[in-house]
Amino acid sequence: MNGGSLATNAGRPGARADRVAGRIFLACTLLTAGAAATLLGVMAVGTGQFFSEVSPWRFFTGASWAPFAEDPRFGVAPLVAATGQVAGGAVVVAAPLGVLSAVYLQYYAAPRAQRAATAAVALLASVPTVVFGYVAVSAVAPALRAILPGAGAFGGAAATIVVGLAITPTVAFLAREALAAVPPALLQAGTALGASRGQVVARVAAPAAARGLVAALLLATARAAGETMIVAMASDSHAELPWSPMEGARTLTAFLVQASLGDARPGSLDAQAVLAVATLLFAVTCAVHAAGRALLPRRRPAPAGPSHAPVQAAVRKDPAPTRRGRNS
Amino acid sequence: MTPSAQWPPIAPGRRRFDPLGLASRVAAATLAMSAAALLGLLAWRLWDFGLGAAPQALGGGWRAIGGAAAGTAWLVALTGVLALPAGIGTAIYLEEYARPKTRAASALQAALANLCGVPSVVYGVAGLTFLVHGLSLDRTLLTGALVLAALALPPVVASSTEAIRAVPGGLRTAAVGLGATRWQVVRHHVLPAAAPCIATAAGAALTRAAGAAAPLLVVGAASMATFAPPSPAAPLISLPTQAFGWAARPQSEFAARAAGAGLALLAVLLGIHLATVLLRRRLAQGPVASARSLPGARAPAGATPGDANANSPRDARDSFPGP
Repeated sequence: MNGGSLATNAGRPGARADRVAGRIFLACTLLTAGAAATLLGVMAVGTGQFFSEVSPWRFFTGASWAPFAEDPRFGVAPLVAATGQVAGGAVVVAAPLGVLSAVYLQYYAAPRAQRAATAAVALLASVPTVVFGYVAVSAVAPALRAILPGAGAFGGAAATIVVGLAITPTVAFLAREALAAVPPALLQAGTALGASRGQVVARVAAPAAARGLVAALLLATARAAGETMIVAMASDSHAELPWSPMEGARTLTAFLVQASLGDARPGSLDAQAVLAVATLLFAVTCAVHAAGRALLPRRRPAPAGPSHAPVQAAVRKDPAPTRRGRNS
Repeated sequence: MTPSAQWPPIAPGRRRFDPLGLASRVAAATLAMSAAALLGLLAWRLWDFGLGAAPQALGGGWRAIGGAAAGTAWLVALTGVLALPAGIGTAIYLEEYARPKTRAASALQAALANLCGVPSVVYGVAGLTFLVHGLSLDRTLLTGALVLAALALPPVVASSTEAIRAVPGGLRTAAVGLGATRWQVVRHHVLPAAAPCIATAAGAALTRAAGAAAPLLVVGAASMATFAPPSPAAPLISLPTQAFGWAARPQSEFAARAAGAGLALLAVLLGIHLATVLLRRRLAQGPVASARSLPGARAPAGATPGDANANSPRDARDSFPGP
C-alpha cells in the first residue's frame, strides 16, 4: 500500500538485508501465485478436455447424470437442482436464526448473556463439518424419519437442516457486523422521536444495514452450496457402490466425494467429468461469494467480535475526534 | 464491547410487548441449545456405546483414534510450515514492497480474495488431478498437507493483508524519514504491530486445516488408522476422515468410534484455539504492538522511545500535545 510510494533509503547500511528480504517475499508471492495458477490451470485443462468430448449443450441441458453407467449421460441439471435445493433450504433455515441472533447480540443481550451467546456462536462456527455430518446421520435423519415415515431413505431434508445450522454462525457473525456498522446517530434519532427499541431495530437499523444483511446471506449461500461432508454423509448413498445410479439428493459436492471414493481412472472421461463438475461448483460459489463481498460494508466503524478488535482499534486513524470536537 | 457501552439510548419504550425482542431471544436460545445439544450428543453416543454399556467396543478404537490424531498433528504442522510463511510473506510483499496499483499485484489480491470462497472439495479434486494423477505422488500425509496448504493460503494472505493495512501509515513514514529501509520498517514496526491479528489468522487457518475432511477424502485418505504415522511419507490418515469412515458403517460400535473421533477432533481444535489466544495475548503485550497499534492507549512503562530499535521513533500521534 505505502511501500512503493515511500523512499527506500537505498544507500543505507541495511540496504543489502532489504534486498534479500524483498527477494524472499517476492519468492513467497510467486509461490502463492503459482499455487493459485496451478489450481485454475488444472481445472481449466480438465474441463476443456471434457467439453471437447461432451458438448456444453448436453452438459447444461441434459436431464440425467450417470457418468459411470454403461451408456454414460452427462446432464448436470439434477446435481445443480439438488445443490440449489439444499443451499436454498439451508439459507431459509439459517436466515431467521442467524439474523435474529445477531439482533439479539447487538441490541438486546445483557453483557453476560451476550458473552454466553457469542461463545455459543463461536463454538458452532468452529465445529468441523464432518461432526455436523455425523449429527445429521445419527440424530437428525432418524428423528425426521420418526416424525415423517414417508421421508424414508431420502436424507436431503436432514442434510438441508444441518447445513442450515452449520452456516448459521456465518450469518450471525456477518449480520452483526452489518448492524454494528449502522451509525449510532440514526438509532439515537429514532429513539429521540419516541420509537421503542423494537421499532428502532426494525425500521431504522434493519433498513440501514440491509446491504450488509444481504451480503451475509449471499456469503452464507456460497458456503452452503460448497458444503460437502454433511451432504455426502447424510444422503445415504455411500452404503452402496459409489457409482450406483442412485440419483436422490446428490449435490455437486456429494458427487465429487462419491466419484473420488470410486476412484475414477486418471485421464478417462469420468475423471474429466469430475473436473468439469468441480469447475462448475467453483464458478458458482465464486460468483455468489464475490457478489456478497461486493455488498459488504466497509470495516471502518469498529464492529464487535473478538477476533477483529485490535484491527479495529488500530484502524481508527484519528484517536479521539469526538473528544477533541467537544472540548475545542 | 457491549451494546450498552456503544450506546445506551435505545429506550425500552412504553410498549410492553416487543415481538422482535422475543423472536431474537428465541433465536439466540435455539442457537445456544443447538451448540449444547451437539456436544451432548457426541458425549452421550460415546458414553452409551463406548464407555458405559460395552467397554470393549471401543478397545481397538482408541488406538485408531490415537493414530488418526497423530496424522492430524502431522497435517497441521506441515500445513503450518508450508502455508504460513508463504502466505504472510505474500501479504508483506503485496502491501509493503510491490508498487501500488500494479495491475499484477491487484489482480493477485483479487484472485486470492475470491479463492477464499471456493469450497475445499474443489481443492481436493485439483490436488488429486495434479499431485496424485499428474505428478504420481503417493497418497501420503505430505500430499494431503500440500492440498491443505493450498487451501489455507488465500485466507492467510487475505487476513494478513488486512492486519498489515490496519497498521497506521504514520509509523512507516516516520521510520523511513529516520532512515529505515523497507525491511527495517517491516521487521521493527509493521510486523510487531500486526502480529496479534496475523496470529489470529494463522490459528484460523490451522483450525480449518485440522477440520478439513472433504479435500483429504477426495485426494484419497486411508480408511483405517492402525498406527501412529512415523513420518510425512506415511499413508494419509486424519481424524476427520476417520470419523467419516466410521460414521458410514451401520454397526453401532462404529457410531461410538465416530463420536470419539469427533470429540478428539474438537479437542484438537480447542487446543489450537487456546494456543492462538495465548500467543495473541503475548504478542499484543509487546512494546510495539501495545504502544503503537492502539491509538489513544497509554504506552506501558517499559516502552520507551528507544526500546525496540534505536532508530525507531514513537508514533507521531502519541507525542502530540493533547487537546
